[in-house]
This record gives sequence, structure tokens and C-alpha cells, in this order.
Amino acid sequence: MKRIFGIVGWVVMAVLGAGALGSIALHRSEPLNATWFVVAAVCCYLVAYRLYSAFVAAKVLALDDKRATPCERHDDGRDFVPTNKWVLFGHHFAAIAGPGPLVGPTLAAQFGYLPGTLWLIAGAALAGCVQDFVILFCSIRRDGKSLGQMAREEVSERGGFIAQLAVLAIMTILLAVIGLVVVNALKSSPWATFTLAMTIPIALLLGLYLRFVRPGRVLEASVMGVALVLFVVVAGQWVADSPSWSRVFTLSGVALAFAIIAYGFAASALPVWLLLAPRDYLSAFIKAGAIFSLAAGILFVRPQVLMPPLTRFIDGTGPVFAGKIFPFCFITIACGAISGFHSLISSGTTPKMILRESHARFIGYGAMLLESFVGVMAMVAACAMPPGVYFAINSPSSMVGGTGDAAAATISGWGYALQGQTMNDLAHKVGELTLWNRAGGAPSLAVGMAQIFSSTIGGERLLSIWYHFAIMFEALFILTVLDAGTRVGRFMVQDLGGRVWKPFGRTGWTPGVLLSSAFIVALWGYFLYQGVVDPLGGINSLWPLFGISNQLLAAVALVVATTILMKMGRLRWIWVTLLPMAWLVIITMTASYQKIFDANPRIGFLAYANALAAQVAVGRIPAEKIAETERLIFNQRLDAAVTGVLAAMILVLIVEALVHWYAILTHHKESVLYESPYIATRWAADFSGVAHGDD
Amino acid sequence: MTKTVRATSRFLRRFWRGLREWCGDAAYEHYLRSPATRSGCRPVLSAEEFYVEQLNSRYSRPSRCC
Repeated sequence: MKRIFGIVGWVVMAVLGAGALGSIALHRSEPLNATWFVVAAVCCYLVAYRLYSAFVAAKVLALDDKRATPCERHDDGRDFVPTNKWVLFGHHFAAIAGPGPLVGPTLAAQFGYLPGTLWLIAGAALAGCVQDFVILFCSIRRDGKSLGQMAREEVSERGGFIAQLAVLAIMTILLAVIGLVVVNALKSSPWATFTLAMTIPIALLLGLYLRFVRPGRVLEASVMGVALVLFVVVAGQWVADSPSWSRVFTLSGVALAFAIIAYGFAASALPVWLLLAPRDYLSAFIKAGAIFSLAAGILFVRPQVLMPPLTRFIDGTGPVFAGKIFPFCFITIACGAISGFHSLISSGTTPKMILRESHARFIGYGAMLLESFVGVMAMVAACAMPPGVYFAINSPSSMVGGTGDAAAATISGWGYALQGQTMNDLAHKVGELTLWNRAGGAPSLAVGMAQIFSSTIGGERLLSIWYHFAIMFEALFILTVLDAGTRVGRFMVQDLGGRVWKPFGRTGWTPGVLLSSAFIVALWGYFLYQGVVDPLGGINSLWPLFGISNQLLAAVALVVATTILMKMGRLRWIWVTLLPMAWLVIITMTASYQKIFDANPRIGFLAYANALAAQVAVGRIPAEKIAETERLIFNQRLDAAVTGVLAAMILVLIVEALVHWYAILTHHKESVLYESPYIATRWAADFSGVAHGDD
Repeated sequence: MTKTVRATSRFLRRFWRGLREWCGDAAYEHYLRSPATRSGCRPVLSAEEFYVEQLNSRYSRPSRCC
């Protein structure tokens, strides 16, 4: 009887999900309510988790709870710590959820709400969650080895090297592009700049407290830190209202870029306990709070989605970034659907802390579903504002015109009615000097979040506070990714440099620390600067590059996963990882080709470089702008070269994998699986972790 | 009524423990209770040494995603 009720319940859930998805897809008349998005996403996620992840767990991976996991075999209280599955879920989710699922869907909203929403739900259920889950499982079976180590052992030396290069490439481009998002969020905004600047002394204070006063008492320090951060969000208004202080904190894009570069260097070179770690604690608490508040706000307010399902920009002429839905929607939304970077987390700390193999399903597959839901919420927040306002915030001035009236006329001409005064009023209400041309996703998401939050608490009176809270929340955890990423990049550079000259590889050697930090910061700093001065807005060139590199890393992870499944004798089920991998290869190769060779200068790097070179040749560029234009031409060719290298890496990897698979399948090569030996668990079946075991 | 109060208090206790574990507040206590520490094979670190060692190890590999 219970079984019948269960089946009926899941059928109802599936029908409800399909109905909600149908409403989203086919609705054309008046604005749609955001509740449909929540219902569609939640039902699809629950059905995918109940059915597909159970199938992957039972048939494809054959998870075995009688097998001891790395934390049981190596329990050292440091890295290998048996952890309750709910706590580890929280750890894993906090690690994978960065700015990507917020910014990507916001940018992709230029196509309308439909393509992005469908890709977020389907991509996560069939590709992203599978990648995270399978890589987590593979790493558990190998004592928590990293993706690079697994690629080297299970695929080939070259595969491992490509994985290492892919990580360095993604790190460089990721740090540049998220730096650009912060620059565009803080540009000409004394309130936001002051708030974010103040988080640095707050973090230093926390760092000293946690090191010398109450070592390791993270919770009490974080509570104090969060209270101080909330105070400076409010205090930012006083700074913005004071003419003299306001001038100090009103910075141009270039000045902000250099400030962020200097911050990245300092965070990488200073002791980690002083700045980086306390910022991370602050960011984790505020991130968790803001995401849950956004979910609660959407459910409480149930806003109308004003963006149409499809906009005219599906033809590839979008002002936020150029390119058609295929492949650019799938490149723009990486995190939230499938993100290669997650495979580094799934093969990092999490496998060393997991209690049972079966928990990998809840943590690997489940946490990614939650991240996808964050992406859907970001889509709702972006689409809940009038489309005209969305395009005004996210379009660069080169697309819509330099003045408010010209931009309003251009955007209205696209069919999205907008008055110049509307933008001025909105900027005034949120406490900003201007909201025109603030590409990057953060300001428009902050406007969307502020409107949802203020409809819940405070009304229009608190709109400016909510807006700056949202900006602070986004910028704070973007900078956390930026400083943690710079530090990891520094270790990679030191590791590579140490092979040439040994002392350089010593992580405690000060000249080595300073030189490697300067090198990695210069690497991403160059791309950041290039994005800030790019007349097309920077996001147009850097975000697709980031998407391509992220999906490249996902392709590496899925190649490793497919190879391992093949070696485990699960040939029948390898489509589970092979199909997402094939899809990623198709979209990354198509996007790479278009970004390099497309004849449209807004899409093709080379076409843009050639168009600029032609203008220089015929003397249409004023003499004082020639050097700047030459630099722009060089940057476009550099971007084309970087894209080409990324595409070549995918091709080499695929050829390498195909040769390897052929050798395994035809028995030309012995199929050796590098799993840790089987050891039966000695823990009781109901053991649920150190702290909970004594409950 | 008593049952509800007891269940709520148990839930809150568990939530508090989970929160302390999640944010790293309880890491040193775990370390002291771990079999490797209790075996006495290695010298036991002070709270401060353990905290710095943990941070150095955590932030030398990708720990925050995009």
C-alpha cells in the first residue's frame, strides 16, 4: 500500500513539474508569475534526484556502503575527518556555489527567460549533477585524489597535463572576468566602494582575533564580522551623502581594476589567516543568508516575470554579448547547469570527509541541484524587472548610445519601452549616481534582488539599503573567489617554476612567494584591464572565454569519468557521462570557432581586430587614439589565440581519450583500474559522524 | 507538549552542532578526539597551531568555486 502511495506521489510530482514547465514554455499573453519557475524547477529536481540519481548510484556506480571510505581508512582529524552528511552537504555547497550561477543566468536573460531556464534545469539534472556525483565517487575510491592525478593515472600522462593546463587557464580567465564584474558593480558608486573597502579592515580584525585572541572560534568571530559588515552597508549611505567622502570613494573603472589587482596580490602574499580566511568566513555566512533570503523573498512576493520567453536577440545581435542561443546560451550559463570547476571540489576536500559511498549521491548530485536552483532564482530576479531597465543596465554605451535619452530611444526602438527618466529615478532610489551601462550582471541582479527584498521588508524606503546589501553580497564573495583563486594559482606557478629552479618551488620562500604572486596577478590582471578598457564592454569577450574554459574542464572531468566507467566494465552505461561530454565538446568547439573566425566583429575576435586595423589603415582613427587602437587590436588577437589554445586542448584530449578507449576495448592495452584496495567498513550502519555519533 | 519541547530542543542541539561543524568551529575538538591524535604517534598541536595549519592546507588547493 505504501509503495502504491509512493508511486502515485512521484507520478503527481512528475505531472506537476511537466505542467509547470509547459506553462513556462508556452505562456505568451500576460506576464507569468515566478511561482511557476519555482514549481517547475523543484518538481524536476525532485524527480531527477529520485529516479536518475538513484539509477546512476545503483546501476552505473554500484555504490557500496560496506566499503570503508578514505576518512575511515586515514582518519587523522585534519584532512580526513568523518563528517555528518548534512554538514558535508553544507560544506560542499558553500564551496561550489560562487558568483557564476548568479551572473551567468542574469546575462543569458537577454535571450528571454526560456532558453536559460530550460538549460539550467535540464543541464543540471543530466550533466552537471552527474559530473559532480561521478567525479566525487571516483575520488572516494582513490583516497581523495585530485582530478589531475586521476587524469594522469587513468587516462594518460598527457591527459593529466591537459587537466593541469585547463585548471590554470580557467583560473586566469575566471579571476579576470569576476574582477570585471566587481569593477562594473562599483564603478562610480561611492556607497558600494566604501562598503566593500571596509570589509578589508573588518576581515583583518577578525583574522587577528581568530589567530591571537580566540584561535579557531570561527562562529563568534563571524557573527561579529557579519554585524560589522551590515553596519558598513548602512554607513555607506552617509559616505555617499558627504560630498568630500563621496569624492574619495568615487573611482573610475581603471582605478578600481588596479585596486583589485593590488588586493589580489596582497591576499595571495600575506599569511592566509590574516586576510583571506576571515573574508571567506564572512562571505560564507552572508552567502548562505542571502541565498535563503532570496528564495524566501521569491516565494513570499511571487513577482511577475516581465521579460518575454524569447527576445529578438535570439538572432545573435544581443547587446549584453553577441551570439546566437546555440552555442552561446550554453557557454554563458556554465555554473548552474554544468561547471568543470566543480570537479576540482568533488576531487578535493569532500571525498576525504565523506562517511559512506551512498552519501555521494546526496552530496554530489544534490548540492549541484541546489546550485541550479540558485541559477533559476537569479533568472527570476533578472526577468522580474521591466526588460527595458534590464537592457539599460546591461548594455554598453557603444551599443545603446552615450546619453540617457539616446540609450532610452535605442532600447525603446528594440521594442522594450523605456523612458530616460525611469532609469534616473531608479538610480536615485537605489542610491546610485547612474545605472546606465553597468554590464556584468551584478547591478541588474542587485536591482532585482532589492525589489524582491524591499517588497518583503521595508518597501521603497529600504530599496537603497537592499540594493547595496545585494551588491556587497555579490562583490564580497566574488573577491573571496578572487583571492582564494590567486593563492591557488600562486601555488601552481610555484610548482611549475620549482621544476626549473628548486628554491622557487618552496612555498615559504619569500622572494618565491612575491614573484609567483606577482606573476599570477599580472596574468589575470592583464585580462581584467583589457576588459575594463574594451569599448564593447569587456563582458562580451571575457565571459564567453570563461564559459569555454569552464566547459573545457568539464569535458576533461567527463573524459576521466567515462574512462573509469569503461575500465570498471560498465560499458553498457557509459552514455551517462559520454553524452554530456559529447554535448560539451560540440558547444565548446562551435563557440571557439565562432569566437575566433566569425565575420561579425562583435562575435569574432579576428574580425574585430581586422575591422580596427582597416580603420587605422584608412586614417579614420585620430592620431592620439592610434596607440590605444593598436593595443585593442593586439588584445583581440590575443583572445583569439587563447580561444584557439583552449579548443586545441579539447581536441588533443578527445583524440587521446579515443585512442586510449580503443586500446582498452580491443584489449590492445591492459585495463588497469587505480582504485584503492577494498577494505570493509568497521563502523556501525547507523554511524553518522564524530559529533553526531555521541548524540 | 513535553514531547514537542523535547523534539525541538533535540533539533536545536543538533542544528547548533551542525553549524559549529560546518563553519569549522568544532574542528579542533574533532582533531583532539581523532584516533591519530589519541594514538600519540605525533605531537599534539595547540589550538593556534592547528588553526593555522588547517588554513594553510585548505587554501593551497581549489576551495571556492566560480
